Amino acid sequence: MVRHDVVVVGAGLAGMRAAIEASRYGVDVGVVSKLHPTRSHSGAAEGGINAALGNAGEDSPEKHTFFTVKGSDYLGDQDAIAVMCEEGPGDIYELEHMGAIFSRTDDGRIAQRPFGAGGAPRTCYAADITGHVLLHVLYEQLVKAGVTVYEEWFALDLVTDGERCVGLTAWDLQRGGVQAVEARAVVMATGGLGRMYRGTTNAYACTGDGMSMAWRAGVPLKDMEFMQFHPTTLKSNGVLITEGCRGEGGYLRNAEGERFMFNYAPNAGELASRDVVSRSEQTEIDAGRGVDGCVLLDLTHLGAKRINERLPGSRELAMDYAGVDPIEEPIPVRPGSHYHMGGIDTDVWGRTAMPGLYAAGECACVSVHGANRLGGNSLLETVVFGRRSGAAAAQDVRSNGAGGVFSPSAARVTERSLQRMLDVSDGERPHVLRRELADAMYDNAGIFRSAEKLEACKATITELRERYSRGLVVHDKSRSFNTDLIQAIELGAMLEMADCLVTGAIERTESRGAHSRIDHPERDDENWLRHTLAYYDDGQVRLDYRPVTITEFEPAVRTY
Amino acid sequence: MKSSYAYYPGCLASLSQKELDASTRAIAGKLGFDLVDIPGFTCCGAGDVHEARPEYYLHLNARILGQAEQLGQDTLMTICNVCTLNLRQADKKLKADPDLLERVNRNLKEVGAASYSGGVEVRHLLWEIAEGDGYEKLKQICDKPLTGMKIAPFYGCQILRPSKLLGFEDPDRPQSLERIIEACGAEAVDYPSKIKCCGFPIVLARAEVALGELIQPLVEAKEAGADAMVTPCPLCHLSLDAWQGKAEREADIELEMPIFHLAQLVGAAAGLSYDELLFKRHVVKTHSATDKIYAS
Amino acid sequence: MEVTLKIERYNPDTDEPRLESHTVDVAETATLLDTLDVIKDEVDGSLTYRKSCRMAVCGSCGMRMDGGAVLACKTPMKPLVDAGHVATISPMGNLPVIKDLVVDMDPFWEKFRAVKPYLDEGDGDAPVKEWRVQQAELDRIMKEALCIQCGCCVSECNSMEADPDFLGPAALAKAARFVGDVRDRGGKQRLELYNGPHGVWDCTRCYFCQERCPKGVDPRDAIAKVGTAIYQEGMLSDKGARHAKVFVKSTHQTGYLLETNLVPETVGAVNAIKDIPFALQLVRVGKVPNPLKPHNAKKLDEVRKLHKLIETQENEARAAANAGPKRPPEEGSP
Repeated sequence: MVRHDVVVVGAGLAGMRAAIEASRYGVDVGVVSKLHPTRSHSGAAEGGINAALGNAGEDSPEKHTFFTVKGSDYLGDQDAIAVMCEEGPGDIYELEHMGAIFSRTDDGRIAQRPFGAGGAPRTCYAADITGHVLLHVLYEQLVKAGVTVYEEWFALDLVTDGERCVGLTAWDLQRGGVQAVEARAVVMATGGLGRMYRGTTNAYACTGDGMSMAWRAGVPLKDMEFMQFHPTTLKSNGVLITEGCRGEGGYLRNAEGERFMFNYAPNAGELASRDVVSRSEQTEIDAGRGVDGCVLLDLTHLGAKRINERLPGSRELAMDYAGVDPIEEPIPVRPGSHYHMGGIDTDVWGRTAMPGLYAAGECACVSVHGANRLGGNSLLETVVFGRRSGAAAAQDVRSNGAGGVFSPSAARVTERSLQRMLDVSDGERPHVLRRELADAMYDNAGIFRSAEKLEACKATITELRERYSRGLVVHDKSRSFNTDLIQAIELGAMLEMADCLVTGAIERTESRGAHSRIDHPERDDENWLRHTLAYYDDGQVRLDYRPVTITEFEPAVRTY
Repeated sequence: MKSSYAYYPGCLASLSQKELDASTRAIAGKLGFDLVDIPGFTCCGAGDVHEARPEYYLHLNARILGQAEQLGQDTLMTICNVCTLNLRQADKKLKADPDLLERVNRNLKEVGAASYSGGVEVRHLLWEIAEGDGYEKLKQICDKPLTGMKIAPFYGCQILRPSKLLGFEDPDRPQSLERIIEACGAEAVDYPSKIKCCGFPIVLARAEVALGELIQPLVEAKEAGADAMVTPCPLCHLSLDAWQGKAEREADIELEMPIFHLAQLVGAAAGLSYDELLFKRHVVKTHSATDKIYAS
Repeated sequence: MEVTLKIERYNPDTDEPRLESHTVDVAETATLLDTLDVIKDEVDGSLTYRKSCRMAVCGSCGMRMDGGAVLACKTPMKPLVDAGHVATISPMGNLPVIKDLVVDMDPFWEKFRAVKPYLDEGDGDAPVKEWRVQQAELDRIMKEALCIQCGCCVSECNSMEADPDFLGPAALAKAARFVGDVRDRGGKQRLELYNGPHGVWDCTRCYFCQERCPKGVDPRDAIAKVGTAIYQEGMLSDKGARHAKVFVKSTHQTGYLLETNLVPETVGAVNAIKDIPFALQLVRVGKVPNPLKPHNAKKLDEVRKLHKLIETQENEARAAANAGPKRPPEEGSP
């Protein structure tokens, strides 16, 4: 049994930022993560982080707020978006003071470039390895703060006393065995769930387990149906090619060489919002104007110098995984599942419906992205709301006195269920279900959706969940470093989260942001300007709804 | 292979490892190329000056390259791994950055030294005789084949790595020394440490660490049945030869492994005598190997 | 295409290390990681390795292929298949094996922590906005900042094999990233962390780190940058720095390495005397040049002038670098 005042689950940008902040309040902080912190998927973020510094042109937090609201297709909560955009610059300066290596303007300030639908050059960047640079800076600060990290501990279940969250159970991967982690506050920062889709930009670790833990503990998940498809991913393995390529002036061309985006977004062209660009690409591909299932991202006119200075990582990825040198020829790209706008329902301080439980980053839904996230806003969200949730958790711990009661039987219950998984010797292997799920999600809950496709997807998920509950065969029966077991647990989480996503998508009979229904092609503010809440109901998904917070910007027609 | 090279023996072959310089000059005659001496060359600075004073190192090496250029030579021949890496590193840096080259030349001019325009390539002797017409010529001159001898190739580090600066062959599976050993009529023995470090750069500053590195290839070569080891680097040679006794004592084993310079191996196969190749200058006596060569 | 791999298997609970051969069908674009995934899914789920991003940025999947450390996700299989080669896959070196291809990274991170791996912000006098830093100043540490801490460099570090306590290439590259940062106020205290036993002077310059690094960090060059800073701060307490000093002196005193000075000036006179039997052995075969009659290079005056000139330029550059980061101009003092 380990015990801390605040335990953060997940050690990407949001988790580490939360832990660092909480430790500043003098409370005892521990971090539980299934990966070593620097292995987290935040490190794969490439293009940059938004904040209205105004270093590359006129800008303001208000402008940032407006374009984020518009980008969200008016589903984002405007009070939350305003918080993020107003506090963003301070967080960027703080990262810089911590040592983040941002690319610079000629006069030594942080350089900024335009990203899709941002309305101003607002994206701060470190060449095209921004996430990597920030992840390592925050890990440095975590080490500096002396926070205890339980590396390669896989969080399994939240533990509650019926009212409050009092900790969690975790599987210690290296030694094997369930560990009880008692906490007066738990901050979930476990990232996304993109792995449930075929051809995702997400890491293998992005399996939605944190969201699933919260859901099973009775905490509602918000706007789960909104999955962003990034317009430029590589065909072979879904690896992300940053939006920064278009920010630096890259073109998208179809098989005929045409810069087709101007047919869809006459003003913004390639720098329209991601949902718009991905749909446009898919339309081109479906109309037979693609190249082997892709469109072409053309950087050749940028020249070797600019590519090597600003986009060296993208060049390396294109060469390694597509066999293409973007200095010489265009990169074949296609839309791929990338970022999940939905997640654990929180307020602007990361607080969830359950006392003692907080969430931040991609696993949370504040909501600042609404129906479609702008490029560069996810890294910002991690640091702003990571900081806020860490502060709230620490402050609440200090003002609440003693927490709830951690039942000593919690670890035994979890241990028994894991032993049952290991005891299965006859049946299907997890990867069979994983592939069926990924195909069903990509084919039927992808860029273009319909009632028919979504119902088919739901049926597949229901069937897969049944097969899962019958027990799958884990080959590895050993305790130490049993990744076979972990992958089976992750599959369970993905199936549950896929169910939440698709159930919400079926009900939402409109098209908004990344949720695009060919049978309901228009946005329907009258009926659907509201958040979906998905609750756990005896293993099934129960939906409820809540109005969107609108402060300043009345919903308007959204064109680029 | 060229008909002539600007010849850069480096410090060791000019001082403590004179047998290497003598052997190199001797086989050059046999192989049919001229070695043109560089008047006024200095030490390349080795990794030490490179680390302590990188700017000074760069200028020292630019000056050497400029001197070679002044001789009308387009290729500078090295016989030491460390010299090879240092000169190539400086050369590449200067060639890649015209502004830097200009600044360096300004400084060289100020002190009255030859400037460098980027017209020299640095090549190690090994590379010149391991392939192409150099290798053909090598096979021709090896008329006293070292039949029945087992030779362990020891590459040393800085002729293989970093490969993006050296790049002659696959740094993990090099074959140049093996090819030369075979051309000499001997058998090349294989062992894992042949591409590892001899420890020389830190043999004074970190003796235990260096000796820990040194003992590994010596033991493996012995176990592989080698009569002798051959190396293209005088620093590896000094380590393997002069420090062998210390490594033996540290590990409490007896090896008595003769260490040949590359030029000595070639020279022996080409019929040059024990005295011409100055084998007597070795710390570990070479008789267990050289007697087999010179017995007949 | 069909790929065959020989994989080193090891489960500490049950068995000794052994090689297992597997042949599976994979896509033409498959990497080593993709291939291991197919084996794990379809053949033997107990095959154990780390993975996450599969795009060479998370640093999880370092392992050895044919004895050399690689990132599995960055290593295509097609060249092997085309060459008809069956590669041997084993865990990284210089770190204890936990299971199959998974090594214990704790010693690795211990060294990371030992180099004070964070910016020393000094008095906390940061401006409200960002420090003014030139891109060229950041470019100097950009290579080191690429490091993903995968351990491929450490796997093959020759010095670490002989001295497991050596800080090693990954930790020292991290150190270089701060030493070279104009915003860092760590100064000599920071450098002292890298200067003693098991520090920069342990590096034997084998360049395996540079060869293996999958991200172009060039760790050996990074170690040299730390050595440069230590040397140029005049911190010559370590034998490694004194060794370097003899080389510098040699180049402008005689033009050639003063081999006879090397031992006493590096290890000190007393230790040099202990080594007299060894020295005599070298004298006997003519390996010790006569120190009283140094062999001077020609045109030595050129080099002496060059040494002076560059020293002046280096001092100026160092003074500029040590001046600290620039504040935004619009701010007054608080």
